[in-house]
Amino acid sequence: MDFRTQLAGELPPLRRFARALCGDAALADDLVQDCVERAMTRSHLYDPDRPLRAWLYAVLRNLYISGLRRNGRSTIVKNVDDLIDGEGAVPPSQEERLSVGSVSAALDRLAPQHREVIVLVGLEEMSYRDVSEILGVPLGTVMSRLSRAREHLRQILEDRGHTVLRRVK
Amino acid sequence: MTQNKIDDWALHAYVDNEVSAEQRAEIEQHMRTDPELAQKVDAWRRQRELLKQAYDGVMGETLPPSLAATLRTGGSLAARPYLAMAAAIALVLLGGLAGWFMAQQSQRLDVADIARDALFAHQVYSAEIRHPVEVKADDKAHLQTWLSKRVGTPFTVPDLTVEGYTLLGGRLLALGGKPAALLMYEDIEANRISILLTSQDVDSETALHVEQRGKLVACYWRDGKLGFAVAGDMARDPMMKLAKIIYDKFES
Repeated sequence: MDFRTQLAGELPPLRRFARALCGDAALADDLVQDCVERAMTRSHLYDPDRPLRAWLYAVLRNLYISGLRRNGRSTIVKNVDDLIDGEGAVPPSQEERLSVGSVSAALDRLAPQHREVIVLVGLEEMSYRDVSEILGVPLGTVMSRLSRAREHLRQILEDRGHTVLRRVK
Repeated sequence: MTQNKIDDWALHAYVDNEVSAEQRAEIEQHMRTDPELAQKVDAWRRQRELLKQAYDGVMGETLPPSLAATLRTGGSLAARPYLAMAAAIALVLLGGLAGWFMAQQSQRLDVADIARDALFAHQVYSAEIRHPVEVKADDKAHLQTWLSKRVGTPFTVPDLTVEGYTLLGGRLLALGGKPAALLMYEDIEANRISILLTSQDVDSETALHVEQRGKLVACYWRDGKLGFAVAGDMARDPMMKLAKIIYDKFES
């Protein structure tokens, strides 16, 4: 399979990762665009022994971080329409109490280094080893961040779950 | 670990399928007798489900036209309005700063000045998203002739492809009342490094030195009629290594 075909196959998860990482649909699209351009013009830097997905995630995540560094956090502030509409177009399941918007809002409350770990492990199901390579931190750091991230997210979701429940009753 | 005290990390690893079949059986054994463990596992699995419900839909969305086009044509730069706007703002802000920084320079250039100049120049110009350079890399021959002529000593623009850096291009600077050349490179992750070349009054040679300013590091040296500095946002050791390679490339 040639590189372009392989790359095309990785686009859906790459877009999901970008959306969950930055929480903003337009910025996520820009990041994916930039990442794919780089991947295509510099495919010689890709080590075929490593999973392509992990490489793409690493490139995208670094673009995101350097974007934040250059422009300050202001570029990722959401506009009002995004907040009202919620993020994606996923229909909630029958028993689901939490909308897409509230999951996204819960992620927004996590520290950036916790958010990226929980997105990579919990959503993208990357191995701890791949995550450690993507983030450039030791395995132990990945695990301690994951542990804190899950605990924090549990608290946030519990708070929200309760308020929603009370309103339903 | 005792009977009802399974390590939290082991439990995370269990949820994330990072355990062996043996460990899995053991953890499940503990979970049967300890409802608290089972609750934790449930809570974490539920988080995963929530994330998937919230974001899996993105995978089914149609690709934006620009992305589909990139995939077809192979990565020419498409217009990205948010970048253009950020760059425009940065240009205005940093333009002012650049003037101030340059005005701070003294008349004489010694070795340490090169490092400081390189750090300032890198700070100012590497932040430029669309206009980091005056002459782009696709005009490399012209870039080399032009800057060599201005700086007054011929040099070859080093190729750092093997090191993972692509040439973006270069620009002419005025440092301490003299022309200087700034070359900029970028790696796949958009990390940029700059090489500064200045002409020296005295023909001399020095070892590699390092100077740090916040997160930026510069390596600098003098060789013959030229002073060199490499600056970037990286740790000292990889910078020293990279500078040594660049030093060798200028030598040959």
